[in-house]
Amino acid sequence: MIRASKLSKKYGAIDALIEVSFEVQAGEILGFLGPNGAGKSTTLKILSGYLPPSSGNASIAGFDLLQDSLAARRCLGYLPEAFQAPPELRVGEYLRFRARLKGVAAKKVVKQVQDCQKLLGLESKGRQIISTLSKGFQQRLGLADALLADPPSLLLDEPFSGLDPLQRQELKNLLLELAHKRNKAILFSSHVLPEVESVADRVHILHQGRTQVDGNIKTLSRQARDYSAVFLGLSYGAEELRNGLLSAKGPGGIQSVEVQGNNLLIQLCPDGSIPDLWKWLATESKQVQRFEILQPSLEELFLKFTAKKEETR
Amino acid sequence: MIPFLALFRKEMFSLFVSPFVYGLLAVWFLLNGLFFSFILGFPAVQNDLNLFPQYLFGSGLLVWLLLPSFPPLLTLRLFAEEHRLGTLEPLLSAPITDLAVVLAKYFASCLFFLVFWLGVLGLFLLLTLHGAELDWSRVGGGFMGAVLVSFLFLSAGLWASSWSGNFILAAGGGAAINFLLLFLPVLFENAPGNLGQISRQMNIPNMLDRGFAMGLFDSYALAYFPLLTLLFLWLTWVRLVSRRWVP
Repeated sequence: MIRASKLSKKYGAIDALIEVSFEVQAGEILGFLGPNGAGKSTTLKILSGYLPPSSGNASIAGFDLLQDSLAARRCLGYLPEAFQAPPELRVGEYLRFRARLKGVAAKKVVKQVQDCQKLLGLESKGRQIISTLSKGFQQRLGLADALLADPPSLLLDEPFSGLDPLQRQELKNLLLELAHKRNKAILFSSHVLPEVESVADRVHILHQGRTQVDGNIKTLSRQARDYSAVFLGLSYGAEELRNGLLSAKGPGGIQSVEVQGNNLLIQLCPDGSIPDLWKWLATESKQVQRFEILQPSLEELFLKFTAKKEETR
Repeated sequence: MIPFLALFRKEMFSLFVSPFVYGLLAVWFLLNGLFFSFILGFPAVQNDLNLFPQYLFGSGLLVWLLLPSFPPLLTLRLFAEEHRLGTLEPLLSAPITDLAVVLAKYFASCLFFLVFWLGVLGLFLLLTLHGAELDWSRVGGGFMGAVLVSFLFLSAGLWASSWSGNFILAAGGGAAINFLLLFLPVLFENAPGNLGQISRQMNIPNMLDRGFAMGLFDSYALAYFPLLTLLFLWLTWVRLVSRRWVP
């Protein structure tokens, strides 16, 4: 389990992180989102034990990062942003070095390295010098490094960076397998929102060092009620129903209604209620064949929660 | 212990596969060969070969020029390169203590620097093969003093290397510290009062020339170099752990 409690970090007079708290349980994937400079990498550096927080505390697998840093780091696999490995080493040499550095017993080093190479598709690259690897393979090497010693918690800073679409899909599958089948707690930051949406169980959005929102995407959609939209599939009378919805006898709370052939796209106001709309339709209209609540995409949520902060500044 | 040995082995390996380090070795061997043959030509040395270790290890260019310059060139990559490449973060977030990181890098550089000295030892063996009768207690003492000084200069170089990812600062800073350690005591040894007294106690060429290179092992000198070395290793460790200090 990864736990951060009221983490703050100051760089001189600049507050890079302000009382950020969250937990990632075993078997859970938390997507860490935020615009550049939001404090994502700073949080991950703190959780990796590389940097201390200015205040607050954090723990990995129950070990406090400040009091018992070594034990915490033993339970952690960390992929830093823009991962780099010593360029003069070969892939196999580097992974064997890292396995020994992480305290893997001598007898198990070769097996662990082979397993990680296989998992990340690096079997054929064992003898290749790291400086000659493509960016995608360097990223895979960083992931293989993070998985060495089979840590229960993983911190991945921009793991999708530098990967082609096929590699992204493979990584998505790998993360899902690691969390849901191998019960690992995974915290990863990313700018690739569709990937986050399809992989993360929960998202945590940071902006200017503060938590904007934390929760699963469905919960966030409910929080973003003014973004709620309903799609109505009709057999006939789209124009007539549109007029009814917008009339004084309508359910109220409707911002706009767009006619799309025989269908309607209804955008609700912040005070609009989907149950009220449903009730009104049930009593007033017989031609509805399909009623679908449209959830805002993660990208819309992200923009909403980070833009709201900009407005309040 | 396992993480320490893993890092030590990796550092040794990285030194052995570095073309830059081989270039350093080549220049070191070339210059030492030149100094060696140059000193052999001195009339005083030709009259009494026992003076040879004193000229080479005590008052020659080896001590005044090469010893302060080469260790920082070897250590500059140990931290500065990791800073520059961005490999320090994965290293320091691994389950290894900061002290083990400092010591593994330091001992690897010390062991590798012995290769530098093996070449110089080879020149003495060559001399013996040609029939020269050497006083091996003086030669051994000279080597011991030189090795202790180089280990001290390696620790200063390591500290300079930990400052930033700038190679010029790492190498230049390390060399500057080493030259100050050599020259300042010599400059102030005749100063009145405590300054002169302290300078005479810290005079490294004197310790080599009138001690080690004469086959004399002074307990003060034997303690002086390791203690100063420990000071620089401690400063390197402080530099490393300072990132964990809460601002």
